[in-house]
Amino acid sequence: MITETDSIEIILPFKAEYVSVVRLTVSGIASRMGFDIEKIEDIKVAVSEVCNKLVALGSNIVPGYKIIFTISDKSLDIHFYCEDKSIKCIFGDENDELGVSLISALMDDVSLCSDNDYILYMSKAIEENI
Amino acid sequence: MSSELNIREEYADNVVTVFLSGEVDIYNSQKLKERLYKIIDDNKKDLKIECTELNYIDSTGLGIFVGALKKVKQYDKKIYIYRLKENIKKLFVITGLDKLFIIEE
Repeated sequence: MITETDSIEIILPFKAEYVSVVRLTVSGIASRMGFDIEKIEDIKVAVSEVCNKLVALGSNIVPGYKIIFTISDKSLDIHFYCEDKSIKCIFGDENDELGVSLISALMDDVSLCSDNDYILYMSKAIEENI
Repeated sequence: MSSELNIREEYADNVVTVFLSGEVDIYNSQKLKERLYKIIDDNKKDLKIECTELNYIDSTGLGIFVGALKKVKQYDKKIYIYRLKENIKKLFVITGLDKLFIIEE
C-alpha cells in the first residue's frame, strides 16, 4: 500500500509579529485536511506556543527557524527545526508551564525534546467519522 | 474576524469593564499588560473583562491575566471574566485557570 504525504515548509524570522502568519498558515492547512474548527483551534494554539518560545529564545547565529507540516490522510505532523544546534529542549523553565500544558493537552502526540535533527515534534490525528 | 487587539474600557462606581476584541498573542501582549495594570493601579476597583469579541489568546495572554489577578488582590479586589468563547474557555480549563478566576456567561 502506498501512502501519499505532502509537505509544506515555512521559514520564519525570530520575530513576534510573524507568529500570527504561522497561525494563518496552519489554519489553512488543517482546514484543507478536513479538521473541524475545534481541532484547528487546538493546532493553532499548540503551534503558536512553540513559535512564542523560539521567538523568545532567538539566535545569534541564524536569523530564523523552520516548520515542516507533513500532511497525510491520517494526521498532520509538525516538525520544528533550527540550524542553531544550541536550540534544543526549548521548554523547561517555570514560565513555560502554561505553554507546555496547552501543547500537551491539545495535540495527540508531542515530543518536546528530540535527539534527532528537529527541535520538537507534534501531531494531530484526523478521526474518521464512523 | 479581526486579528488586531482592541482594548476599550468603561468606568462605573465600583467596577471598570475592559472590553477585549481580536487576538492576544506574543506580539501585542505587552500592550494588554500595560493597559490592564494601569487600569488596576489607577482605579483600584473590581475588574470585569468582557471577552465576547476575543477570538484568540495564548499563554502570554493568560499569564497577563494571572498577573492582573495578583495585582487586583493587592487592593482586595476581584476580576470577573465574561463570555469567553468556547475555544478560549477550553484553555482556561486545561491550565486550571478556570478555578482561579470568576468566569461568567
